[in-house]
Amino acid sequence: MGQALSFGLTQYDVEELKDYCDGRFTQSEIEGLYRRFRALDRGRKGFISSEEFSSIPELSINPLHFRMGQMFNHVNFKEFALALKASSKRASREDRLRTIFSLFDIDNDGILSPADLELMVRQLAGSSLSEEDLKIVVDRALKEANASDAGLTFDDVARALEGSELRMEVEMPVDY
Amino acid sequence: MSGLRHRELSQADLREFDYEVSRTKHSANRESKVENTIEDYVVKSEEKRLSKESSSLLRDLLDISPLVQDAAAAIVDDSFLRCFQSQSTDPWNWNIYLFPLWTVGMIVRYLILFPLRLIVLLGGFLIFFILFSAVHAIFKSDRVRRSRWEQSLVQFQCQMFVASWTGVVRYHGPRPVNRPNHVWVCNHTSMIDYIILCAYSPFAVIMQLHPGWVGFLQTQVLNCLGCLWFNRTEVKDRLIVAERMKAHVQAADTTPLLIFPEGTCVNNEYCVMFKRGAFDLGATVCPIAIKYNKIFVDAFWNSKRQSFTAHLGKLMTSWAVVCDVYFLEPQTKLPEENAQQFAERVQKMIAERAKLQVAPWDGYLKYYTLGVKHPDLIEKRRKVFGERIARYIRPQPPPPSPARPPKPPTDAVNGTEGARQRPVSRATT
Repeated sequence: MGQALSFGLTQYDVEELKDYCDGRFTQSEIEGLYRRFRALDRGRKGFISSEEFSSIPELSINPLHFRMGQMFNHVNFKEFALALKASSKRASREDRLRTIFSLFDIDNDGILSPADLELMVRQLAGSSLSEEDLKIVVDRALKEANASDAGLTFDDVARALEGSELRMEVEMPVDY
Repeated sequence: MSGLRHRELSQADLREFDYEVSRTKHSANRESKVENTIEDYVVKSEEKRLSKESSSLLRDLLDISPLVQDAAAAIVDDSFLRCFQSQSTDPWNWNIYLFPLWTVGMIVRYLILFPLRLIVLLGGFLIFFILFSAVHAIFKSDRVRRSRWEQSLVQFQCQMFVASWTGVVRYHGPRPVNRPNHVWVCNHTSMIDYIILCAYSPFAVIMQLHPGWVGFLQTQVLNCLGCLWFNRTEVKDRLIVAERMKAHVQAADTTPLLIFPEGTCVNNEYCVMFKRGAFDLGATVCPIAIKYNKIFVDAFWNSKRQSFTAHLGKLMTSWAVVCDVYFLEPQTKLPEENAQQFAERVQKMIAERAKLQVAPWDGYLKYYTLGVKHPDLIEKRRKVFGERIARYIRPQPPPPSPARPPKPPTDAVNGTEGARQRPVSRATT
C-alpha cells in the first residue's frame, strides 16, 4: 500500500530508465512521461497500440503520424521514453540525427535505401508529387550525397544535415 | 514554444470540426477561415525555414525536424486527453494508525452504507414502477394529469438516486420553470448531472441512447417527459433530433428542455467545445453550471473505462457526492452574434462559474480520429513540403512561398480570436 502502488515506478526503475535514455531526462520528466504513458494506455495493458496513438488529435494530422504509429506500435514505457529522447532539451545532435535516420529507415537495416526514401517522401509530400517526380527526387538526392546504390548511410545523413539547426526540443510535462 | 504554436493550429481546425445539423449553411465561410489559419501556420513555419539559405535537395528532404518536434509535442502532452482524465486518488492509508481508520472507513462504506443505499435505491424503484403503472392505468385518457404525475414520479426517483450517494447538492439561483422558447444548457460530467437536476425540477433531455438497463429506463420511462434519444454517430438521428428539438422548445406545455452541448462527459476541470445545436434554435438559453467537489469521489464518468453501473457503484460506495449547481442568468443571442459566438459566450459564462478551463476541442473526437475524418488537414501540410521539394526538379523558378490571396487583416481572425488564446495553461519549470 502507499505511493508505490499508485505511481508504479520505484526509485530503482527511474534510475534504470534514466541510464537507458543516457541521462536525457530528469526524474521529474520521467515521472511526467510515465503518467502520460499511462493516460495513453487506455486498457492499462502496459503498452500503447497504434489506435491509441492516433487518438491524439494533434498527432493524427501530422504527415509523420503513420510512420510514428509504426515506430510506437506496442511500445512499453522504456521504448516510449527512449523514442522521445531526441526531444529532450538535453539531447545531443547525434540523438536528433539518429531519430531522423531511424524515421527514414523504414526496413530498419541501418541504411536508407532508395525504397526507404521513396516511401518516406510519399508520406511527407502526399499527392503533391507525382510518381515520376518522386523517382527523380530520390535519384537526385542520392546522387547529391554521392551514395552507393545501397543508399545513404548514417554518415551521409549527418553530412547532409550539417549546419541545420534540427530543433525538435519540446517541453516535457512535469505537472501531468 | 512548439507546443504553443501547435495548439494554435489545432484550435482553429477544431472550430471547424463540427458535425452539427446546419453544417451546410455556414460551411462555406467557415472552411475558408480555417484554411486561412492553417495556411497561415504552415506557410509561416515554412517561410522561417526557407529564409535560411539552403540549396540542397538532400538537406530539405532529410530535415524533418519541425515535424518531429510537432509530433513529439503532441505525444508528450495534448490538451484533448487532459479533458478526459480521471482524478487519481492519492493513497493516505500508509501509516500504522491511519491504516486501521481507513479499514474502518472501508467497512462502513462497503458493508453498511452501500447495502443501505442499495435498499433505498431499489425500494425507490419498486415504488416508482408500481405507481408508474398505476398512473398509466388510471389516467389513460387524461394526458395533462398523467404527465404531471409522471413528472413528480421521475423527480421522486431521481431524489432516491441522489439519496443513494448521499448527495450533498447546493442549488443556487432561481428554480427553473417551464416557459416556451427557453432551453437550458449545462456542462456535462456524468449522467448523474441529469439526475441531480431532475431531483430539483424535472427536465426533458437530449441524450445518447445507452445500452442495458439505462437504455430501458430511457426508452420506457423518460419518454414521458419528452426526452429525445439519439445515437451520436448517426448523422440521420441528429437531423431528426434537431427537428424535434425545435418543436419541443416552441410548444408551450412541455417540460423544460435540457441540453448538454458538450456532447460528451468531461472531467469537470475543462469545458470542451459547445455544439451549436442549442444555440441555433432562436430560443433564450438558460445556462446551468455544475461543479463537483472531488473531496470524496470523482464524479466524472469515463464511459470508455467503466459502465454506468460500475460508475454508480463507485458513487454509492463513497462517503458522499458533493456538488454545487448554479442557475445562471438567461441569455439571448445578440444581433451581431452568430450561433457559434453565442455558444462560446455561454460556454465562457458556465466555465467561469464552475471554474473550468475552456478547451477548444470537439468532444466527439473521443469517438473518431481527426486525421481520418479530415484528411485535408494533412494534405495541406504535405503540399508545402511537396512544393518545396519540387523546386529542385522543375526548371521554372516557383514563387518562394505558396501563393495565397492576401488575408483581410481582421475579418478572418475575428471568429477564432477567442480560440487563439492558449486554452490550457501549462506549468513551466
